[in-house]
Amino acid sequence: MSGPAAVECRGVCKIFNQGKPNQVDALIDVDLTVEAGEFVSLIGPSGCGKSTLLRVVADLLPPSGGSIAVNGKTARQARLDFDYGMAFQQAGLFEWRKVIKNIELPMELRGWDRSKRSARSREMLELVKLPEFGDNYPWELSGGMQQRIAIARALAVDPPLLLMDEPFGALDEMTREHMQAELTRICASTHKTVVFVTHSIPEAVYLSNRVVVMSPRPGRITTVINVDLGERSEDTREDGEFFKKITEVREALRGGELGATARGIEDR
Amino acid sequence: MSRLRARVAAVAPPIIWGALFLVAWERFVVWRNIKPFVLPQPSRIWDQWKINKTGILATAKATGANALWGLVIGALLAVALALVAQRFRVMRELIAPLSAAANTMPIVALGPIFYNIFGTTSLTARRMVVALVVFFPVFVNMLKGLTQVDPVHEELMASYAASPLQILRQVRLPNALPFLLTGLRIGASLAVIAAVVVEYFGGLQNGLGSRVTSAMKQSATAKAWAYIAAACILGLLFYLSALIIEWIVMPWQRRRSQAR
Ligand SMILES: Nc1ncnc2c1ncn2[C@@H]1O[C@H](COP(=O)(O)OP(=O)(O)OP(=O)(O)O)[C@@H](O)[C@H]1O
Ligand SMILES: [Mg+2]
Repeated sequence: MSGPAAVECRGVCKIFNQGKPNQVDALIDVDLTVEAGEFVSLIGPSGCGKSTLLRVVADLLPPSGGSIAVNGKTARQARLDFDYGMAFQQAGLFEWRKVIKNIELPMELRGWDRSKRSARSREMLELVKLPEFGDNYPWELSGGMQQRIAIARALAVDPPLLLMDEPFGALDEMTREHMQAELTRICASTHKTVVFVTHSIPEAVYLSNRVVVMSPRPGRITTVINVDLGERSEDTREDGEFFKKITEVREALRGGELGATARGIEDR
Repeated sequence: MSRLRARVAAVAPPIIWGALFLVAWERFVVWRNIKPFVLPQPSRIWDQWKINKTGILATAKATGANALWGLVIGALLAVALALVAQRFRVMRELIAPLSAAANTMPIVALGPIFYNIFGTTSLTARRMVVALVVFFPVFVNMLKGLTQVDPVHEELMASYAASPLQILRQVRLPNALPFLLTGLRIGASLAVIAAVVVEYFGGLQNGLGSRVTSAMKQSATAKAWAYIAAACILGLLFYLSALIIEWIVMPWQRRRSQAR
């Protein structure tokens, strides 16, 4: 592929509370390159530093060491240029804004005009299958519905790079598969780059070009598995190759750290 | 129907208890043969209320105006300073302990000193005292609301590369609103108390507090009680107004309390 990589991490370290008794080596020597248009999943047991890695890439946390480039710029410059959109592990909706106004917030901050905003937010509500909830307040929605609104908000401004932290964790199986299909469709049609954290092995395999397996204490990358399933469809989920990759990821998770076997990893 | 019943169920107990309390008070005074200048019966206070109705209304207006002016000035000052303090760490560290110390001080006791500065016949001294009393609860609550922002919201706004001003408008101010209203609710009650009590220290004789002291000087205890009752009602009015404002300006909370 041509052009700079979407994300380029070289020897990235993140140590919390350095030198204190409660020091945590959240990330050690992480090398990761995500090419433009690639879909990369991060998978690993709870506490292995997935969210931390995403935050460091998003310039929400300074790394303790190493270098990060996003679209060939510093992480900070990429953030200031609106190069990425982020969906957090918590929905993080604003309780004083109606659902539709929550989706419109990033558009407001970018100075979109009213008609463009409302057209786009209606479209996004359709996408996440909650068209009739625009005028509700967030607390009137279930946890999974709130999470879908947060995804709609992240997708609304159409950023070239998406950083998603377990966005489908709170969804039921059917909605989850629908959202997965929509995400692959959007990414294919708009040539997005995605870094996607998940606890679900099938989800990682279904969505990704590459699955990055991490292990905890200290947090690092143990294995990278390439997935080549061609264009995704509902049939992909019954494909033999699909199951083969699932097994491969599961074994990588087991093998990575015998002590910390795939704890917190959902096998579905 | 059940809505009405719920509302009656909420209002009835305090009314019934209040009525019982008044009856018990009335009977107790008669039974123990307590002198009226020590503790008058509620019926006597009611008589005094009727006799002095115009006076009560006029003085309540004067005291109410002081309380309102003080409340508005104090609250505006508190909000402005809280906005400055949330922006500058030095200010925060300077003001926070200062306001905590000032909070433990009986500010109304500064009344005589303020009369000295602004003159006993000016209303400024009284309004300044009220403003000062109102300032602290509003300031402390407002600052808390401006700074105690959900960390996810902070990260989200950082990911949008939002400017400090945008963060203030979109996150800090709406987040601070319920805190501010709590501060105002506390401040509204305190404003009336301060406006009445500061009149005890002299100055113009046009307020509820002045009438209480002058009635007591004449041993007209029942009359004093009538003015105190008026002060209670004034305080209640301020408090209820604060509640109504709260209801109006926070539509997202309103719908939630209705859903319960
Ligand atoms: N702000 C912080 N201060 C101190 N330690 C932190 C902080 N944030 C994360 N950590 C620690 O860093 C490690 C990695 O945390 P992180 O949130 O990245 O894990 P994760 O892989 O996202 O886990 P999960 O799957 O449960 O979300 C954990 O041990 C955590 O305790
Ligand atoms: Mg996490």
